[in-house]
Amino acid sequence: MMMQYSKRISLSLCLALLVVAAACKGKSANDTAGTSAGTTVRVTDIALGRSIGGDKAIADKTDKFKPNDTIYASVATDGVSPNATLRAKWTFEDGQVVDESTRAIAPGNRERTEFHISKPDGWPVGKYKVEVFLNNALSDSKSFEVGR
Amino acid sequence: MSIFDKLGGKKDDKPKADFSNVQSGSSSTAAEPAPAPAPAPGPTATTGAEQTYTVVSGDSLSKIAKRYYGDANQWPRIHEANRDQIKNPDLIHPGQKLRIPGA
Repeated sequence: MMMQYSKRISLSLCLALLVVAAACKGKSANDTAGTSAGTTVRVTDIALGRSIGGDKAIADKTDKFKPNDTIYASVATDGVSPNATLRAKWTFEDGQVVDESTRAIAPGNRERTEFHISKPDGWPVGKYKVEVFLNNALSDSKSFEVGR
Repeated sequence: MSIFDKLGGKKDDKPKADFSNVQSGSSSTAAEPAPAPAPAPGPTATTGAEQTYTVVSGDSLSKIAKRYYGDANQWPRIHEANRDQIKNPDLIHPGQKLRIPGA
């Protein structure tokens, strides 16, 4: 009787140890997943507007523009890298490409990068989108509209 | 072909917008990445172009061939290209400017 009881306790302890070991393994895999992508930089925000300040942040956020506006997209990044590439792809309605601009940066920590587009004869009225790629991977996008 | 196509043209034959004159730019608070380091001075891998090499003390044709072609046995190529100034391939002098034929 006593032997059986002690065997049960041993088995329970072994099982508990196995569960703890599995949990630890899972945690360590999750912890490294964030850095295994090869970059420590990430896009934290995209803001749109008609003008920017010296800190490259949007001075007047909006997603509604007039045909003669210059459209700014301010991309906030967080993280450090000696070499990262940001790309802004602007599209119109069904995906017609309006413009694509790329900028190489060496972010020191929290940085802002602005992309802007203008059209001397005015933007066609309709819906637009800007997609931001970090190191060629889509990070985020924002939709906006040009109206009269 | 849809019914719309049959009844007087495509349904969505809206002309594409012209974005050919869009002007764009960018700027950032982040620094620009450092430029790639310049290649180290000295003899480079052989290319199709002929190069010039100035002999220094301790050089031999084999050593120079090894440096440029990766193979000391290629020294006769350098000898051939410099017949006018190398009579004895075992005797080259510091300061001599040798033509090194490309690969």
